Amino acid sequence: MHTMECPTHEHVSRRALLKNTLATAGGGALMNWGSLFNSKATAAEVKKNQKRCILLWMNGGASQFETFDMKIGRPTGGLFREISTNVPGTRVCELMPTIAQNMDKLAVIRSMKTSQIDHPGGIHLMHTGYSQASGIRFPEIGGVIAKYLGSEGSDLPNFIKIFSHGNTGAGFLGPKYQPFSLSPEGRLPSFSTSNLNPVNESRRNALRTFVEDSYASGHKAETARMHREAYDASRRLQNVQGVFKIDGEWDKYRDLYGDSAFGRRCLMARRLIEEGVPFVEVGQSSYDSHADNFVWHRGLLPPMERAWAGLMIDLEQRGLLENTLVVWMGEIGRTPNVNNRSGRDHYVRSWSTALAGCGVKGGLVYGESDENGVDVKDNPVSEGDFFATIYKALGIDPETEHYTGVRPIPIAPFGSKVVNDVLL
Amino acid sequence: MKINKPIHTWQLKFEGEWPTSVAFLGNGNRIAAGNRSGQIFVWDLPDAPPEPTDDEKDKKNEKDKSPPNQPPSRRLDGHTNGISHLRASADGKLLVSSSFDRTIRLWDVDAPASGKAEVVLDAKERTSKVRYKSGEEKDAILNAPGHMIETVAATHTLEGHKDWVASLALGSDEKRIISGDNSSLVIAWDVETRKEISRWSGHQWNGVVAAALSPDGQTALVSEYRYKRDDFDIPAAALKLWNVSDGKERLDLLKLQFPKLDVTASTYGSAQMWRKFVKGGLLAAEFSPDGKLIAVGQGGETDTGKVHLFDSESGKLLRTVSGHRYGVCDVKFSADSKYILSSGRDTMVRICQCADGKEIATLGKERGGQFKDWLHAIAISPDQKTAAAADIAGMIHVWQLQS
Repeated sequence: MHTMECPTHEHVSRRALLKNTLATAGGGALMNWGSLFNSKATAAEVKKNQKRCILLWMNGGASQFETFDMKIGRPTGGLFREISTNVPGTRVCELMPTIAQNMDKLAVIRSMKTSQIDHPGGIHLMHTGYSQASGIRFPEIGGVIAKYLGSEGSDLPNFIKIFSHGNTGAGFLGPKYQPFSLSPEGRLPSFSTSNLNPVNESRRNALRTFVEDSYASGHKAETARMHREAYDASRRLQNVQGVFKIDGEWDKYRDLYGDSAFGRRCLMARRLIEEGVPFVEVGQSSYDSHADNFVWHRGLLPPMERAWAGLMIDLEQRGLLENTLVVWMGEIGRTPNVNNRSGRDHYVRSWSTALAGCGVKGGLVYGESDENGVDVKDNPVSEGDFFATIYKALGIDPETEHYTGVRPIPIAPFGSKVVNDVLL
Repeated sequence: MKINKPIHTWQLKFEGEWPTSVAFLGNGNRIAAGNRSGQIFVWDLPDAPPEPTDDEKDKKNEKDKSPPNQPPSRRLDGHTNGISHLRASADGKLLVSSSFDRTIRLWDVDAPASGKAEVVLDAKERTSKVRYKSGEEKDAILNAPGHMIETVAATHTLEGHKDWVASLALGSDEKRIISGDNSSLVIAWDVETRKEISRWSGHQWNGVVAAALSPDGQTALVSEYRYKRDDFDIPAAALKLWNVSDGKERLDLLKLQFPKLDVTASTYGSAQMWRKFVKGGLLAAEFSPDGKLIAVGQGGETDTGKVHLFDSESGKLLRTVSGHRYGVCDVKFSADSKYILSSGRDTMVRICQCADGKEIATLGKERGGQFKDWLHAIAISPDQKTAAAADIAGMIHVWQLQS
């Protein structure tokens, strides 16, 4: 039986080819026909731009009322106060003084209106742009960006998570675009380093190659090829182990990023981006403040905002910010009402995210919530709109389609609208 | 203090933002309370509550019967953010308030009024009453006039802090104040001159969450805590005694309990050890009036918050008493230092003997669903006959401790 020269997820099925050819011949939209072959062409085009993305993931859902959409003097306002920023007329929470001084780099969206209110659903939604669906494993944004902006055969993985959240991974894009996860401290996983001395390791690899070559000559199975690629990638990682050792540089950058675990993760992200990794996700956990919301945000926000601002400053000073998109978000927002545990619960009718760098208009606030932050007043932004905007900023056409079977799936959901107002 | 079949005598409405603090002013009939929006009200209560009306007598269900309300007489205006604590001199002539607006204010509650204001402190009850009403009847209830009361301005404002003033104590000699803020700065103040005596800071990542002064005003007990900065980035809490005169550390009580722990470590494993003792922060702290004991309460949302009693001289942990489901909010000693009163997130005040930890009485009832409301703060009248608690549901409860 014959072998597949391309992975199943990129393979055009006879049925799909026939279907779309007929659709085109029948005067239907050209979209499907074109997209059957457009993903590789798109990837080649966007890679020329060397665009990168860092996702700062606030796991659990940071409160919009304690960050970018304060309601001072309203019953929903909470305990913190506003401070002015370096953008006249824009004010943010007093817990974010460093971000306030770098507000001219940020486009804040105060009108997120999304569809998944629980954590698993929200984490999936805000990593993929899609709600979970049976039978389809949607790829995370990191997998999509790895595919379109990553380099084949690079020593470093194209999709790296530091303190990962969410486990959707590359979904239907396949194992090639799976995330490579570092520990919360930024350490490499144990499998990525060899306990053998170099001579023995080399001999073992030669033996493994011989065995696999022998097997592959008689078995053209996809899994064998994937295994060899994964092993090769792991071996190539040995060439760049130094990138993951940040102690030397940390002494110099501790003040800029702030002395925190999240700060170290952000410095690691900058190093990886600088080395050509197209997508890095940096996580901070514990924003799920059903109790003691103000105490929790008082603990979590200062180190986070310092590191976030430090990252943007560092990227800017190195000339990387204009081609690096920094995304700040979690999976949900938090309720206007404060419950009897001094907490705020899950909320998705109106919440906030932020973008910076890479074609984003800095110093902008997009959208508006109503006076108590209960609902979006102007310019609602759905998860699909948000993802379409991210992809557009990175030079990836949000309407680019993939196929699972015969079903076309655009990388941002059908009907999503790019928020062009936040882009240059 | 004598406790014998306590009676719930008053239930003062203070609806709106959460009541956070309460203090008696000179006697059991004058009470000040503050809330999370920065309001402070003063109530002057008659010696005895009014007789129940016929309607109230007719209520068959015991839980529908609640103690009488009384409107406040004065409002103390000035703070612009939540009140964290109220402390009063024994004669009630001096009231001190600390606030998240970063100031401390001193009040003469009997000062001439600065103005008048109409206040509505039963808005929630009005909303509840009109649920099935409409039209004019509904409007009449919602827009009924409030109470006209006098407003009073602070006599002095202390402005040394740059962050939330989350902790406040007044020495029993009433000459010194200690205040701690969310950046871990502690300031000791001279009451008469309102000048700083000393200032010092704790761990840069922590905030001061509780502070107390020894009866002679010479020693400060300071509790530091910060909720985790990250799952693996947890600063160590601190509980230390300091010399007020020069801000020098005298004794590290947590180091005594955990001598092998590296207090500079912020690892997850280390944090778990601390958490067993500290829980969500030792959020309430007091010296006993005889100066021999220290009490600290395990706060934050936790399984059961207890009160640790230490020997103030040696720092040795004597015993752990009481127990509030979901955490302790406040602790106070009786004047004879025999009892420790604690309030918590179980809507209860618990009274325990210091000598053996035995719980001898409780005030209040557990109320709410899975998570109860909090009794955020408690106060004991100088004559030791009355206790009061600030309830986040918008009430100040007053109990006569002997029937």
